[in-house]
Amino acid sequence: MAVSFGIVGLLGTRLKKLEYGGWIAVGFAAAAMIVGLLVAAAEMLSPGSYTDQSFTWLHLPGSPGTFPNGFSLVMGSLVDPISALMLLVVTVVGFLVMLYSIGYMHHDHGLPRYYAELSLFLAAMTGLVIADNLLEFFLFWELVGVCSYFLIGFYYEKPSAASAAKEAFLVTRIGDVLFLLGIFLYFTVYATAGGGAGWAASGFKFVSGSTPFLAGAMGGNTPLLTVAGLMMLAGAAGKSAQFPLHAWLPDAMEGPTTVSALIHAATMVAAGVYLLVIASLFLGFTPDDRLAIVAVGGFTTFFAATMAVVHPDIKRVIAYSTISQLGYMVLGVGAGFAMVGMYHLFTHAFFKALLFLAAGSVIHAVGTQDLFKMGGLRKPMRVTAIAFAVGALSLSGIPPFAGFFSKDDVLSSVYTAAQSNPAYWPFLILAYATVFLTAYYIFRAWFLAFSGDKSRDPTLPAAHEGPWTMQVPLYVLSALAIVAGVLPFTPSFGSLFSLGGATSVPPTYGTTDLVLSSVSVGLGLGGILLARALWGNGRVYVLAPDSALQPMRTILLERYYIKAGYDWVGLRIVYGGSRVADFFERYVIDGTIHGFERLGTKLSNGLREGQTGLVSDYASYVVAGVIGLLILLLFVAPLIIASLGGP
Amino acid sequence: MDTTILATFTPELIVLGAALLVFLLDVLGVRKLETFGAVAVSATAIALLAVVADLGFAPLAVLRTIPASSIDLPLGPSLYVVTSLGLVFQAIFLTSALLVSLASLSRPSDEKGSAVFFGLLLMATVGMLFAAVASDLIFLLLAVEITGISTYLLVGYTRKDARSLEAAMKFYIVGALSSSLSFFGASLLFGAYGGTSFSVLARGTSVIGYPALALAGYALLLAGLGFKLTLVPFHAWAVDVYDGAPDDVSAFLAGGSKKIGVFAFFLLFTGPVLLAPALGVWCPAGHCSTVTLRPTLELALGVLAVLTMTIGNLLALQQKEVKRLLAYSSISQAGYMLIGVAVGTAPALAGATLQVFAHVFMKAGAFLVVAAVLGLGVGPRVEDWKGLARQRPYLMLAFALMLLSLAGIPLTIGFVSKFVLFSAAVQAEGWFVWLAVAGLLNSALSVFYYARFLKTIYLDSPPPDAPAPPRLFAPIGYGRSAAIAIAVVAIVAFGIDPQPVLSGMQAAATHFVAIGA
Repeated sequence: MAVSFGIVGLLGTRLKKLEYGGWIAVGFAAAAMIVGLLVAAAEMLSPGSYTDQSFTWLHLPGSPGTFPNGFSLVMGSLVDPISALMLLVVTVVGFLVMLYSIGYMHHDHGLPRYYAELSLFLAAMTGLVIADNLLEFFLFWELVGVCSYFLIGFYYEKPSAASAAKEAFLVTRIGDVLFLLGIFLYFTVYATAGGGAGWAASGFKFVSGSTPFLAGAMGGNTPLLTVAGLMMLAGAAGKSAQFPLHAWLPDAMEGPTTVSALIHAATMVAAGVYLLVIASLFLGFTPDDRLAIVAVGGFTTFFAATMAVVHPDIKRVIAYSTISQLGYMVLGVGAGFAMVGMYHLFTHAFFKALLFLAAGSVIHAVGTQDLFKMGGLRKPMRVTAIAFAVGALSLSGIPPFAGFFSKDDVLSSVYTAAQSNPAYWPFLILAYATVFLTAYYIFRAWFLAFSGDKSRDPTLPAAHEGPWTMQVPLYVLSALAIVAGVLPFTPSFGSLFSLGGATSVPPTYGTTDLVLSSVSVGLGLGGILLARALWGNGRVYVLAPDSALQPMRTILLERYYIKAGYDWVGLRIVYGGSRVADFFERYVIDGTIHGFERLGTKLSNGLREGQTGLVSDYASYVVAGVIGLLILLLFVAPLIIASLGGP
Repeated sequence: MDTTILATFTPELIVLGAALLVFLLDVLGVRKLETFGAVAVSATAIALLAVVADLGFAPLAVLRTIPASSIDLPLGPSLYVVTSLGLVFQAIFLTSALLVSLASLSRPSDEKGSAVFFGLLLMATVGMLFAAVASDLIFLLLAVEITGISTYLLVGYTRKDARSLEAAMKFYIVGALSSSLSFFGASLLFGAYGGTSFSVLARGTSVIGYPALALAGYALLLAGLGFKLTLVPFHAWAVDVYDGAPDDVSAFLAGGSKKIGVFAFFLLFTGPVLLAPALGVWCPAGHCSTVTLRPTLELALGVLAVLTMTIGNLLALQQKEVKRLLAYSSISQAGYMLIGVAVGTAPALAGATLQVFAHVFMKAGAFLVVAAVLGLGVGPRVEDWKGLARQRPYLMLAFALMLLSLAGIPLTIGFVSKFVLFSAAVQAEGWFVWLAVAGLLNSALSVFYYARFLKTIYLDSPPPDAPAPPRLFAPIGYGRSAAIAIAVVAIVAFGIDPQPVLSGMQAAATHFVAIGA
């Protein structure tokens, strides 16, 4: 399937008739969705089954060392409950976004490129979902990252888009490198544990079973395993925009809104969470890792929500909300209930895609992303207003919308974890505080855009709904944003969530749970009411210039100055490092060498006269190198080897 | 005369004969570049087929000149030994010579000095072929010297271009210094062991019981041959020489002759000495310990590998000129190869060999494309290449594949070779895993400048007022197109299915690590 996508992608670029190429891409996305639905249906019919098909791409024979049986690079596809579920999410949202693109993108340039890249992205994403081992997973993970880079930079004539693309690529690469190191560490750790040699020779496949494979074999909390887990967390944090690797996601909103909906809300950013889920199910995290995961998730969820509270740009508000909601998923995984994280991923994919596409409709209609210029859009854009409201209610966790069930489940799983480890309490409190902030900022956006009589900026064009290709996805996603939460209550669909001892998907309601739910619903309603009081009916709440809250607002708008910090550090480290090397080569080595050279010249009475300066430099490098090697081999190396106990 | 010796050296004799033929034709008054080129192409192609046949490739069994029974024998007192890894390297050397001579067929047919070019190219190849069967230090160094002298002359063969001449001069001076270091190191080893045959070195015990002499000898060899391999800090010549040399010569230097250093390193620092016993007791600074050669060397090789990768990549980040950028990238690639030498296990040697193999197509291919593009009148700076993909889509697609392969992107051979190499380092336990980590971080860093270059070629537009290069749409010639096409096909085909080649290299490397037993 992934292959067919690649072919479409390539075909797409060759098709000159733009509309036509788009429809072909939509057709293939529809085919992919049907396959996704079939796979999910098959998985539901035989709950908990694992179907693995693979071939060995490369086999490296063993040597007496870490991997006595050698190891393999395997390419294969694994269909199990989680991958079936994720495949369903990716292909359904992917198809709807493709369809929506036909209407949304129709007056853009470079459409073949757009559909080719989007198709390639879908191909990479499905490949990632069905990968049956970590290395294959990583390959597709990188490919997904590359597609994201291209799509963020789609409007590459715009400098801000180009720089946002670069930023996203570089920041996520930090996570990727750490992730790869984590994979290596897992392999190294595992190879010394029982049965590891066979696992290595078979290509490190994800193996079915209710006990996390690695943790079962290792029997718990070793420092190296903890470090490996932390590396996984770093990889996931890069992709899922968790603190401190979060800053690229809001900037990624420079891409087309459809891309934001598909990649930066529903699918790619969820890949990080997906990684954490499969890592916790198949490899296992140590308790320290889990605490770190909860800490990152809990902090990010609150931290991102605070920034969403003040932002004037509709897309960025939703982007911060994505970071925050991804934090909830990470929280669920960290609390030890991986499938709860998946549950929130599942519902979030639909309501967040819905919010983005609704926002896209608004942007399409009025041509601006500034909330403060909009207003009164409820009347001309009824469908969009209702769709946005459904998404917002779901995001705020108001029953019976989908977000309520999954968010509630996350909160109660953290509560459960906090019973046994009090260190989880602060993050539970942050998570609850975020419920309030979430409801507030998303309804602030809704009231600013839709309430009131008319737009605040008279130069905006008269708003209108988009064509049917844009409306249909809104209807479908609205329906999903309402029912996705209760789907797992049906036994057959629920079987997709039945892995890894996560018995609490769908949520159960005892007395404690009812209390917890009531608190969160109360906080959500409170947030909505506050938003209505401040921003309802076209009001604009302006903070007094001398208000004590002004500095706070500036800090939030400047994103806690973290972005600026990145730039500073990035410039200093990357370019600095390169400059240091250059400087080193030019001055330090040269200088030292010239010193030696002058010495040599004096000693040999100017025998070197007549040679060009440059060549003598090179020759002196060689001489310095020889001296260095002599010292290293004759003195340093024997001492080091002796101090290590000798051979 | 024993004819089996002649049979053993069939590929060498074919190439040597072709070189002499080229010089003879030149004396007889033939001036056509195509004639010399045809001789060079056919000689390298036939020799390549013979070597592949000797490696046991069944369809070519007719051409086989060395019986399987006389390959991979244990080291003896002889001057030469035929190992299957050596044959693999011969095949790699011949492939690079073949690609470069094929591409050079497209040079202007009335070019002065074309006989010198092809003759010296073949002579350099002869030296490389001999080095691959060396079983004695002096034999090895002499073979390296044949290649060295030929390449110094190659760099300056046009005799007109001041930059080429300056590059040739620099190359020669630093090369001569390095040769003297190598021979001095060899004489120290002779002093320490009482012989220069690898079988003597593999025995390992120092006849006069003074291990420092042997260590010093190896340090000098490391430096002298490190020059060939462009290891930091013996690298500085490479950038000026690759930059100043005629483009096709740069392709040969980076993709071909440099690899002689890799195999020399294999012979000196892995295979024969892997199993060498302890040298004896050595007391630097009052701490006495028993010195064993291999662990001591590993440390030095590891340090050089990390230095070379890192400094090569960091300096590449700064480059504004295409050839200098490729030169620094070539230096950093040498660092990756050195990881294989430092680790020294059979999988690591196979990985390094695959990396060398890949590098022929990636780097020689890239320089051949550069030669083609400069021939179109496009400038030598990266910024002169802005938007070139729109004018020359196929040429730039080939170039893009080569750069992606250098960066180690999956489905190219560059990915496979790095994967095999780094996983061998991880497999080998101990501190070697840090070499893999350093390699990984360096790969991540290198993606940055390759991607930036690709962005320039594909996404940027040339400044509107810039004059179009004079021959922008001129054909680049059949020979050059064929060479570039071969490189691209190899990069992709071996990137998708590397197992056949890799299995051969793994088997050869397994024999090689046991050669000193």
